[in-house]
Amino acid sequence: MSRKLTVIFLAMLVLVGAMSLKTVVVAHGDGSVIMANGGAPAPPVPWKNGGAPAPPVPWKNGGAPAPPVPWK
Amino acid sequence: MLGPFEAFVWLLCTFLEAGVVVCALRTRSFRRYFLLNVYMGLSFLVSVGRYQVLRLYSVDSLEYAYFYFYSDALLTIGLYFALLSLYSLVFDEMKAERYLRLGAFLLLGATAWFSYEIVNQSTHRMLTHFAFELSQNLYFVGLVLTYVLWGAIFKLRESRTRLIQFVLALGIYFSAFAANYALRNLYPNLQPVWHFVTPVLGCILPAAWMFAFLRVPEEARLVPARLAVVPR
Repeated sequence: MSRKLTVIFLAMLVLVGAMSLKTVVVAHGDGSVIMANGGAPAPPVPWKNGGAPAPPVPWKNGGAPAPPVPWK
Repeated sequence: MLGPFEAFVWLLCTFLEAGVVVCALRTRSFRRYFLLNVYMGLSFLVSVGRYQVLRLYSVDSLEYAYFYFYSDALLTIGLYFALLSLYSLVFDEMKAERYLRLGAFLLLGATAWFSYEIVNQSTHRMLTHFAFELSQNLYFVGLVLTYVLWGAIFKLRESRTRLIQFVLALGIYFSAFAANYALRNLYPNLQPVWHFVTPVLGCILPAAWMFAFLRVPEEARLVPARLAVVPR
């Protein structure tokens, strides 16, 4: 039983490590293909912003419409 | 439109993929490295299929993009299992086959679930998006697993030259793509250079594996370091 738990722990450790590495690498990337199997030319990714969901804008306080700037 | 250099590299890569399977058959190693050969055979078929799709449509077409990303996910899963077959060869004396299988399926399932969760949060709920995400996530899992296997080979003082060559080639292959991606983002103005470098990297793995099948006999052994520092 403990061996099975060790295997599960190691698998989860590898997954966490791999996803952390991906986050570090892709954070500054342009959302393009990282790895491609074979020598065929990679097509442009049909979606532009990678796979991660877009976070809400952090500086939007409340839902009220912003007033016009009083100075020109 | 495909330039002459790109066409040449693609053709070379396709021949190398077929060459790996031919060399494995010639040296009677096909069954021993079955999953490695399945991956290379699949790569060859996918290359032919991609060419057929590209001939009918363009690189920028949706048809090519769909075929490319679906086949890429399939190939990455194939590469993942090829890597795990190397694990079972390295750990065969430990009789850990059962645990390796458990870990492999658990890791693949968890990666698929993670990829699905990412796509599920996204506004584009596309199956292709899932295939792309799974392919990229499995790539990172493969990268980490290859480095772990490198470590295990050093620790266990593995001496089978051909097996070491396979694992080292895989490590270089994964690392080269990671370095290429990092450099591409660091120097985006050198886009014409990266445009040529990326397909060349795809030839590393079939070339190294073909060399290993052709030039390194199965019986070849490396002499591990005999001297070790022993505290007195």
